[in-house]
Amino acid sequence: MLSKIKSMSLEGLNGYLVEIQTDVSGGLPSFDIVGLPDIRVKEAKERVRTSIKNSEIEFPSRRIIVNLSPADKRKEGTFFDLPIAIGILLAINEVRKDTLEDFDSTIFLGELSLDGTINRINGILPMCIEAQDLGIKRVIIPKENALEASIIKNLEIIPVENLKEVIEYIRGDNKITNQISENCVNLRQKSLYNFDFSEVKGQETAKRALEIAAARST
Amino acid sequence: MDELPEFKKSTLEVLRGPLEDRSVTISRVNATLTYPANFMLIASMNPCPCGFYGTDDNKCNCSESAISRYIGQISGPLLDRIDLHIEVKPVEYKKISSDEKEELSSTIRKRVNKAREIQLKRYEGLNIYSNSELTPNLMEKFCKLDESSKQILKKAFETLNLSGRAYGRILKVARSIADLDGEENIKKDHILEAIQYRSLDRKYWKR
Repeated sequence: MLSKIKSMSLEGLNGYLVEIQTDVSGGLPSFDIVGLPDIRVKEAKERVRTSIKNSEIEFPSRRIIVNLSPADKRKEGTFFDLPIAIGILLAINEVRKDTLEDFDSTIFLGELSLDGTINRINGILPMCIEAQDLGIKRVIIPKENALEASIIKNLEIIPVENLKEVIEYIRGDNKITNQISENCVNLRQKSLYNFDFSEVKGQETAKRALEIAAARST
Repeated sequence: MDELPEFKKSTLEVLRGPLEDRSVTISRVNATLTYPANFMLIASMNPCPCGFYGTDDNKCNCSESAISRYIGQISGPLLDRIDLHIEVKPVEYKKISSDEKEELSSTIRKRVNKAREIQLKRYEGLNIYSNSELTPNLMEKFCKLDESSKQILKKAFETLNLSGRAYGRILKVARSIADLDGEENIKKDHILEAIQYRSLDRKYWKR
């Protein structure tokens, strides 16, 4: 069966939408990823296979093809692990779209460990900004990235720790909310320095120039 | 960047683009990518290889050509993009040993924050946040000069041989100095101070 799920990728510092298409069909068992994946994306195969197995779900021993569309852009990074895993589970009916509201407006991002734990990824912010611009409703991301993503408004952020949790969330057995955004993150924490300008004797012009520089740039 | 002339010349010249555009464009076979590069460049250097050229007692023992080679590492166009040039003279013994209290960082911070707030308020809705981002159009509106300031700037232009780029940068610096003072309009003193930060290259580069 065929499944389609949404994810994001990065081109420089701009995010763009990637559709992960997964087809599981009869034939000799195989697992291929196409759509210009780099070595890190190709290696997702082993992480996905093992983490699904270690989440107590039998990995289908059938012919699996994953396409990352648009297929003409080079994909890099390890954040496709989670969407590929979910794509396979969807294709074999282990999870269903209709148990989660707005499934088609949900972005999946995350790197998997062999035991199913979801690790932090890089570039979450530009991807979330683009998701917000595209009108995406929800992002499912590694828990460690939740703080960073909380800056984005109008986007439901679901921080997850492992694959099992994501499966339960999609099935509707486990409601996850982002606590961090509710506590309101203050990234501008007051910084403390060990040095003070009053310790600099003389050099008034230098200090004045630094003051002017500080006053005019963001 | 400490010890600026010790960097490779090609490395330094590359800074010109991002200093002006606040972005870097990298072209490779399969993609052209633009990254934001909004930064503040702070650099320091010695006036010559031995470090004494230009001091009052002139202890420098470098040859003329060694000095030009050293100073020549920094090109005119790059220098032109640096808004505040200052000379840091050795501190006298009297100053180092004195117990006189200097201004605290927190006091300076207060002044800077106030100036920033003034800017944020002034540029509300214009999609810019600080004086450094002023476009020529906006500069006309927000950096108005009175007659005497105009005269001073004109004179400085003629005697110091300033570039068009320097003109805009002097105005922006003057605007910031006025903001630090909490003044709504740029006054004579502000423009004078701003010009003063532009005159160091007269002493070392255009000898």
